[in-house]
Amino acid sequence: MMSLEDFKLLYVLSCLSLGLIILSPTLAMVVRLPSGERFSELWILGSEGMAEDYPFNVAEGQAYKVYLGISNHMGGLEYYKVYVKFRNQTEHLPDALNGTPSILDPVLEYRMFLRENEVWEREVLFSFEGISFDGNFCKVSSLVVDGCMLNVDKSAVWDEENHGFYFQLFFELWIYNATVSDFQYHNRFVWIWLNMTVSI
Amino acid sequence: MANRKILIYCVTFTLALALFTHTCLAVDMRSAEEALVNAESDLASAYGAVAEAERAGANVSELFDKLRLAGDLLAEANNTCRLGDYDGAYSYATNCSDTVEGIASQALDMKLEAEKTCSERLFFTAALSSIGLSALFVVSLFGWRFFKRKYVRRVLGMKPEVREG
Repeated sequence: MMSLEDFKLLYVLSCLSLGLIILSPTLAMVVRLPSGERFSELWILGSEGMAEDYPFNVAEGQAYKVYLGISNHMGGLEYYKVYVKFRNQTEHLPDALNGTPSILDPVLEYRMFLRENEVWEREVLFSFEGISFDGNFCKVSSLVVDGCMLNVDKSAVWDEENHGFYFQLFFELWIYNATVSDFQYHNRFVWIWLNMTVSI
Repeated sequence: MANRKILIYCVTFTLALALFTHTCLAVDMRSAEEALVNAESDLASAYGAVAEAERAGANVSELFDKLRLAGDLLAEANNTCRLGDYDGAYSYATNCSDTVEGIASQALDMKLEAEKTCSERLFFTAALSSIGLSALFVVSLFGWRFFKRKYVRRVLGMKPEVREG
């Protein structure tokens, strides 16, 4: 049979456990448990909404479609901005190591407010106007995104190694920082390579 | 003769009005940029207030929809400005400012209300917990006496076993 001391200990432990159960609703309201890792996701999907069938060989007057998506896991309501930028092979990309954006001016922007765990996705339709080829050079005059015709005036030289005139359409994610009252580059960007071809 | 002169003046004035009205009312780059800066600031303030209200536990769905609309308008204003359409940019930017007007104060009210509700709930829960703990303390003391007495009685009621060697 259990000794009186052991019985007493068991009784005290049972009372303490019951006390904690009674106190738990109050503790849950006061104690803030540490949250998990905070991050945002940025992605680009092909024309079918999958990570395949991305536009690559593009020509003047043809419309192409990609899906751009963002999800918020920052722990609360966030204010995002996405810059759409266009470059040739020699121009600056964002620097993922230093967390700095590309110095190129955006051609277009999107803004969105996302709650915790909320996902934003939209289709981005784009096409090109005024593509001209001159020997080893290719010039693109206009990029049309979601019906907005934007003057880009970019040139690319023939890439001997990869056999094409390569341009890149990329999307940078910026987030609003309430402490500095301004947007900051969120060190996330996605891109697609585009090879300009002659329309048939 | 005089009537003819008046008629000519009227026609000239009407033509001049039609010709210059658009030029006079057109928005220049500076005004558009000013409107954009104001809209940016208005939207940021509204966002800050709504975010705080949401953190406090308020239901900000309605304000959130307005923020979304204003965000789209501001993006459109900036995109239009990049294309050199300052009239359009100005119009979108002022629309954005109008959309978020009053959101900050509404969000502040909701935040205060949510904080009040939260503190009331905390007080109520803490009071219930205190009553529960006090009851547990009293019951456990009496319970201990009861169980101890039962235990002792059980021990005293036991008969010593005698075993033959």
